[in-house]
Amino acid sequence: MLNLTIDDKQVTAPKNSTIYDAAKLNGIKIPILCHDKKLKPFGACRMCLVEVEQMKGRQIPACTTPVTEGMIIRTATPDIIKARKMVLELLLLNHPIDCPICDKAGDCDLQNLTYEYKVDANRFTDEKFQHEIDYNNPLIERDMNRCVLCGKCARICDEIVGFGALTFISRGIETKIGCEFDEALNCEFCGSCVSVCPVGSLLARPFKFKARFWSLTKQKSVCGYCGTGCNLTLGVKDNKVLTTLYDENQGFHNGQLCCRGRFGYQFINSDKRLTKPLVRKNGVLVESTWDEALDAVAARLKGAGSSVAALATPRLTNEELLLFKKLMVASGSNNFDHSAGYAHAALTAGFARSFGSTAAPSTILDIQKSSLLLVIKTDAYETHPVVGFEINMAVKNREARLSILSDKRGKLSKLPDAKTLVHVPGTEIAVLNSLARIILDDKLTVDSAAALPGYAELVSSLAPFTPEAVESQSGISAADLRQLATTYATTEKALIIFPIGQAYPGHNAALATAVANLAILTGKLGTEGAGVLCLSEKNNSQGAVDMGFYPVDGGSDASLILDGCSAGSIKTLFVAGENPLISYPDHARVKSALDKVECLIVSDLFLTETAAMADVVLPACSFAEKEGTFTATDRRIQHIKPAIRKVGQSRSDFDIFSALITRLGGEAPATPSALFAEIAASVPGYAGMSYITLGEEGSFAPVEVKPVLTAATAATMPACAAGTFALLTGSALYHNGTLSQYGEGPMHVCPEGYLEISRGDAATMKIGENDLLTVTSDTGNMKLKARITPRMPQGVVFTPYHFSGNPVNRIWSGAAVTGVTLAK
Amino acid sequence: MNPIKTFVPIINGLKITLGHMFKKPITLQYPDERPKVATRFRGLHALNVSHNKAKCVACYLCPTVCPAKCITVEAGEDANHDKFASVYEIDMLRCIFCGYCVEACPVDAIKMTGEFELANYRREDFVYSKERLLEKK
Ligand code: SF4
Ligand code: SF4
Ligand code: SF4
Ligand code: SF4
Ligand code: SF4
Ligand code: FES
Repeated sequence: MLNLTIDDKQVTAPKNSTIYDAAKLNGIKIPILCHDKKLKPFGACRMCLVEVEQMKGRQIPACTTPVTEGMIIRTATPDIIKARKMVLELLLLNHPIDCPICDKAGDCDLQNLTYEYKVDANRFTDEKFQHEIDYNNPLIERDMNRCVLCGKCARICDEIVGFGALTFISRGIETKIGCEFDEALNCEFCGSCVSVCPVGSLLARPFKFKARFWSLTKQKSVCGYCGTGCNLTLGVKDNKVLTTLYDENQGFHNGQLCCRGRFGYQFINSDKRLTKPLVRKNGVLVESTWDEALDAVAARLKGAGSSVAALATPRLTNEELLLFKKLMVASGSNNFDHSAGYAHAALTAGFARSFGSTAAPSTILDIQKSSLLLVIKTDAYETHPVVGFEINMAVKNREARLSILSDKRGKLSKLPDAKTLVHVPGTEIAVLNSLARIILDDKLTVDSAAALPGYAELVSSLAPFTPEAVESQSGISAADLRQLATTYATTEKALIIFPIGQAYPGHNAALATAVANLAILTGKLGTEGAGVLCLSEKNNSQGAVDMGFYPVDGGSDASLILDGCSAGSIKTLFVAGENPLISYPDHARVKSALDKVECLIVSDLFLTETAAMADVVLPACSFAEKEGTFTATDRRIQHIKPAIRKVGQSRSDFDIFSALITRLGGEAPATPSALFAEIAASVPGYAGMSYITLGEEGSFAPVEVKPVLTAATAATMPACAAGTFALLTGSALYHNGTLSQYGEGPMHVCPEGYLEISRGDAATMKIGENDLLTVTSDTGNMKLKARITPRMPQGVVFTPYHFSGNPVNRIWSGAAVTGVTLAK
Repeated sequence: MNPIKTFVPIINGLKITLGHMFKKPITLQYPDERPKVATRFRGLHALNVSHNKAKCVACYLCPTVCPAKCITVEAGEDANHDKFASVYEIDMLRCIFCGYCVEACPVDAIKMTGEFELANYRREDFVYSKERLLEKK
């Protein structure tokens, strides 16, 4: 700590802090325009000028100057005020000052400062800027006439997002922010630049002219898409969520969001929302009353025993999932599952046996403390973009090394010094096993490893995985494998990160075990910056696992439930929020199961393809309309509160399940908070939590690791026949599950499925960008537009799985790699 | 009873009455005769028109400042990406004729006219739409 004097006040501040930070820490406000706490100091605007006595009273920028011992600083002398006024006058000189029609008004730093410093006249005169406004994309409007050249947009896009779409172009008075070749913006549309722009240069078009900033009610919430669990603030007016607002103090990510979180909120107030219960009468779904619908459902569930089954989406709150489970127990069934039954296997089977716990030991915060990040599949960026930002920052700001094992390259591969080892699709477990073998052979294990249970079995199971054997199988050279294994084992703070989800059937229990073995052998078990981080797909995937919403004692998993529906042993299927017809593998199988089951009950926000087949459809409500908790992928439990009243007659799944339990003669908890008390008392790691203690920050449920070494055996991949391509399924950057299809932002950028193919293959087959290809597998065929990318290896193609318009499950029956042929 | 104390005030009163009998009457024979309102009178609003369009750019300042919360504005984006008021309504039953909206308007788009005959038969008719508010030239 250093001692200094700011405005005649004796204060202390940590070493390495800037004058601005020191003042802020001590409650002294220095105005800023170009500074942002997430970005590196820049010093472009000179709004933050202060006088430092030791520098002969010169005016220096507070945001870039580090404090030194004994500094005497004045932040508001008449001279400084005069200088700041002049800065504002100069900024306003070419500025359009069209606040009445500028969407930023009310939230504009330039406007606020102009008001605060009473700049009501300008001594200078000059022409206004005449830049053309970029309306070329539906999400971000760029009006460079209002730009104050603070550079925040270009810096955030580079420093945090790692895309680099924007930069200063031209010089002198001509300087402006532009894209490559001064063309239209075409980027990943995360909206980070919009969020930090201090003026109305960058605006979110979906919200343009919808409401004024000051008329919005701001409700803090948690993003309802992926497992990162980003915090966000919903801007609400007239019971409608109109936008997401930026709050730099929210969450570990300081308000950063991805395209889905920032621009995908429209599903909440979509016109397509279900507002009334529907009951099938004479073959058609007709509007009904809650009483009729719930009575019909209760009649099916009462005493039904194991002839009922439930599938839930891990987007429900913890309270709802637990209550759904209770409803099934009340009906006498233990057939319930989520995420197609396999997307959680890495946790519920893999980590369960390796770590003795159904959660990964590390948290997202460890990324910033680690010195080696080993990412399995570049898709981690697409599935969890904000985690991707963290990786980017760790690599760029802290020089953490980044190694990637993947079946294709990706955005992460482009980071400085990132080493991507591209393997043959489906061989990741063999690769991980060979790393384990090298670590064992080279005696790089921790001393205690040999004493761990399962050591001998593991050693013998690894016999076939010599680096040379795996080289021929995976295509990664033995030397690279050796180097990676050594680097991993000898780096104390090494973190393995891998995504899981419905589109990643290969990231299963065996993969989790293979990863866990590496961590256990080298003793990286969740200490600071070292361990394993498994990125679960949906906003409450980890919660669904923690609530035990998967079959344990003899119940059927999702796959057996579908079989049971087809075979007639399951007569009633209750689907809450899932859309298996689109998101589960093997369309024909799901379709026949849903056709055959006697009674299909669906609770959902929308009349999805699955809901359209149901006998009873219950209108549920979104995360913005209910109270409960979500558990993020790193077991951060966060409390959400309603931002709006429920749309139409929709009810929360909590209310639906409560009403049904009451109808079955049981006793339902009165409120989510009462049920959370039960969760806190029974779920390991949740002890002592309540809505009050969770607060706005949420809290982590600790994970206790009891390491066990287990052989990880990969199902042998049927080699793809000659002339076929290896089809990989996965997640698109703009989507998560099937819900994001109802968010307008994601659909503007990525409205339909596509097939990514390598340049080489496209050239050989004379395929052009956007050519419609017929993709044929053993189970069917479908048409997809070609997208030619440099990231795909020869012979490998990739398609995202989210789209109702192009359901990939027509050609994909759940294999990690599917052989397909392509035709034009 | 003191006769002076009783009669003097009565006589004084009669003097005033008598005086008025010879003055010009101030009562207007409304509606045959109509008052002349002052230029600063605050009556019914009108939206100023320029280039055949309402000048209002839907900045939302008047609904924000209005103490009676009787102004409803909804902004729209026209083909040139310009902002305009797709909805502009004033509920005259709630308006207190304070004139704050006129004062707040940054583009001189709204004024108050001398129009004061605002009676109507139905409640809905007191809600003045943008069309009804457009200034009549
Ligand atoms: S950027 Fe700020 S100062 Fe400029 S027109 Fe918009 S609101 Fe006004
Ligand atoms: S939206 Fe994101 S990727 Fe696009 S320019 Fe802005 S910060 Fe960069
Ligand atoms: S567009 Fe906005 S964020 Fe970017 S330099 Fe201009 S004012 Fe700053
Ligand atoms: S989708 Fe995931 S990464 Fe994106 S904002 Fe939401 S929680 Fe964050
Ligand atoms: S203040 Fe003026 S420009 Fe703004 S909404 Fe009202 S009338 Fe329109
Ligand atoms: S805030 Fe310090 S120079 Fe801009």
